[in-house]
Amino acid sequence: MELTFTAADELFRQEIAQWLNENLRDEFAEVRHRGGPGDEHRFVDERKAWERRLAEGRWTCIGWPEAWGGRGASIEQQVIYHEEYARAGGPGRMGHIGDTLTGPTLLAFGSEDQKARYLPDIRSGQAFWSQGYSEPGAGSDLAAIRTRADFDDSSRQWKITGQKVWTSLAHESDFVFVLARVDRDSVGHRGLGFFLVALDQPGVTIRPINQLTGTAEFNEVYFDEAVCAADDIVGAPGDGWKVAMGLLGFERGVSTLGQQMLFQTELDEIIRLAKLNGASRDPEIRQRIAEAHIGLRTMRYNSMRTLSGGEDGSLSREAMIYKLYWSSWHRNLGKLAMDVLGPDAELLEEGPYELTKLQSLFLFTRADTIYGGTNQIQRNLIAERALGMPKEPRGQGK
Amino acid sequence: MNFTFTQDQLDFQDAIASMLRSEVTADTVRSRWATTAGVDERFLSQVHELGLNSMLVPEALGGLGLGVTDFILLAEACGEVALPEPVVESVMVSTPLLVDILDQGLGNADIQKVVDGVLAGDLRVSLGHAINPCINYADSADWFLVSEGDGIYLVPKEAISLKARKSVDPSRRLFSVSFDPRDHVRVADGDVGARLQRSTLNRGALANAAQLVGLSRGMLDQSVRYTTDREQFGRAIGANQAVKHLLADVAVQVEYAKPVVYRAAYTVGVSPNRADFAVSHAKSAAARAALMASRHCTQVHGAMGYTWECDLQIWTKRAWALAREWGDEGFHNNRIHEWLLRKDALLGPEFTFGRGSITDLEKAG
Repeated sequence: MELTFTAADELFRQEIAQWLNENLRDEFAEVRHRGGPGDEHRFVDERKAWERRLAEGRWTCIGWPEAWGGRGASIEQQVIYHEEYARAGGPGRMGHIGDTLTGPTLLAFGSEDQKARYLPDIRSGQAFWSQGYSEPGAGSDLAAIRTRADFDDSSRQWKITGQKVWTSLAHESDFVFVLARVDRDSVGHRGLGFFLVALDQPGVTIRPINQLTGTAEFNEVYFDEAVCAADDIVGAPGDGWKVAMGLLGFERGVSTLGQQMLFQTELDEIIRLAKLNGASRDPEIRQRIAEAHIGLRTMRYNSMRTLSGGEDGSLSREAMIYKLYWSSWHRNLGKLAMDVLGPDAELLEEGPYELTKLQSLFLFTRADTIYGGTNQIQRNLIAERALGMPKEPRGQGK
Repeated sequence: MNFTFTQDQLDFQDAIASMLRSEVTADTVRSRWATTAGVDERFLSQVHELGLNSMLVPEALGGLGLGVTDFILLAEACGEVALPEPVVESVMVSTPLLVDILDQGLGNADIQKVVDGVLAGDLRVSLGHAINPCINYADSADWFLVSEGDGIYLVPKEAISLKARKSVDPSRRLFSVSFDPRDHVRVADGDVGARLQRSTLNRGALANAAQLVGLSRGMLDQSVRYTTDREQFGRAIGANQAVKHLLADVAVQVEYAKPVVYRAAYTVGVSPNRADFAVSHAKSAAARAALMASRHCTQVHGAMGYTWECDLQIWTKRAWALAREWGDEGFHNNRIHEWLLRKDALLGPEFTFGRGSITDLEKAG
């Protein structure tokens, strides 16, 4: 166990810190600290331009191998990158799904041809991705998806028909990866395929969903014989579940570090405010601030332990636990923010329905304990898979 | 940076854990309860033969020269079987204090004799710190390290008077002690004494944190077994979400307390009197996990969990006791938020590890 960084790592830190200092200014000054959770719909074009600036400095996709334009960065370097990015106020990454989900999934499961066609545009900040998993009838029970992919022999293409929902930023994206049923008679995890689908085509309709925050980050996406080239299926027909779960493993890997940096920024803001308005003199508030702080450190130690253990992003016990832990922590943070604000917590920034940053944090954290697997589903997984408790009988409702 | 244990460390833990599991069972713990001394001498000599007593003593003084991160997993393993004997406190807390005293040229003619005796397995030293009202297993100690004011005193058992106190945990043998704090038994005082007391408190709290993690794990394993075997409504009660979720919540707290404890072990190894924040975090996280484990595991055992016959009480009662010893939740939480809300507190993402870590810990200390 060695918990300090090497001199080479510190040089890397200087390099990224200096680059950010020289680039996150002028036309990009306005996007500093913007575009995080609950604010993802803001400054979209500016943040896409920022992705291209990052790419010029080779600061996108740094965990990818050098052969694909990454830096092959070590875990330590990725930690440093996230730390410095957060410290500089780097905006919420428009490219993060491509960088941390699509990319690693293609690198692990994709063909050489798919890598060659998709990875360069992700890396250069030209192509933005979204995630098509959930459906109206397949939320917690993801394997109940009904979206179909039929291979059309005459056009030599896949045709996709069905509906996805809760698709974040689909309306600002170029592609979506879609989990769809290739075998009409199949049920559950079998008979699925994992498809790379262009969003800009006649067969795709995107409708934003208005959220209780008054904003619309996610969407319903309708597919009506949307086309997908024969070689845009990742893995073989029938391998969809394996690829989809592999991707979720990446979701819980290094990308968690970036998320924790945002949390730290939010917590620092709450502490600043509590010192300013006197709430920090309230012993109960002090106690909760302390708990929030140590909770966040706990998450970081756990991520570091998981990552330095050489975990490949598979569903280890730590990874299963992570979602439940952070979502509960973040929900409590939102509540703390409101209690620090006191009576001001109720007052909108401006009409007709413009939330302050902290109000939007509070409401957004109410989604955290639901999306990506509700806390209740997470507890089932932990109990059954990590602890080995007896399985609950399933599918007996009808 | 590397936040993992070496294969050697993991192998050593495996070896010790399997020895503990075969030697320290619920039955052997209960037979200790029936004795006055409460310790199993045969077991203690086994521990000595394994070299545990000298593990953290520098090689120059005749020890194995290993570090706190080498021992922390063993401390956890001792907690997992709810070991009654104060092995962890002896290895991690009282012996390192003896070494510190000797190392810094403090103490009197007795100190070398006591250290040699501990290494030879002939002598036992009990520790009294102002934060704990009682000393555990004081009746089987030959020497005492006791703090009073800023002073630390090395006192032979002949000069100590003991008064037995009963613990809610039948595995403990508590005593309140009194002695005459005269100059010739004082080994440290003033700033030096205060610093050693601080290191000792941090080591003690860390020792308990590691055992609390192990205790939680032990409770969780028993509860998974029980809820898998016990049937109601024609199926295992553990198939029900209401039961599962109670244990899943415990699993989260336990798994997430571990690296906090390991991180504190690292810091205590580097600088024990500047580890306040890391240690308080560890103690607080581990105590929270263990108290939740006690509560939830008792609940899933149903009425059985309320019986004297049910072995779970061996673990729950220890957890309650260790959670209070070496600073209760209020004490450690106070140390955390006193630090956190200081004007000069170094907050921000870059201060969790690496360049900020030593600096902020120093500020915390």
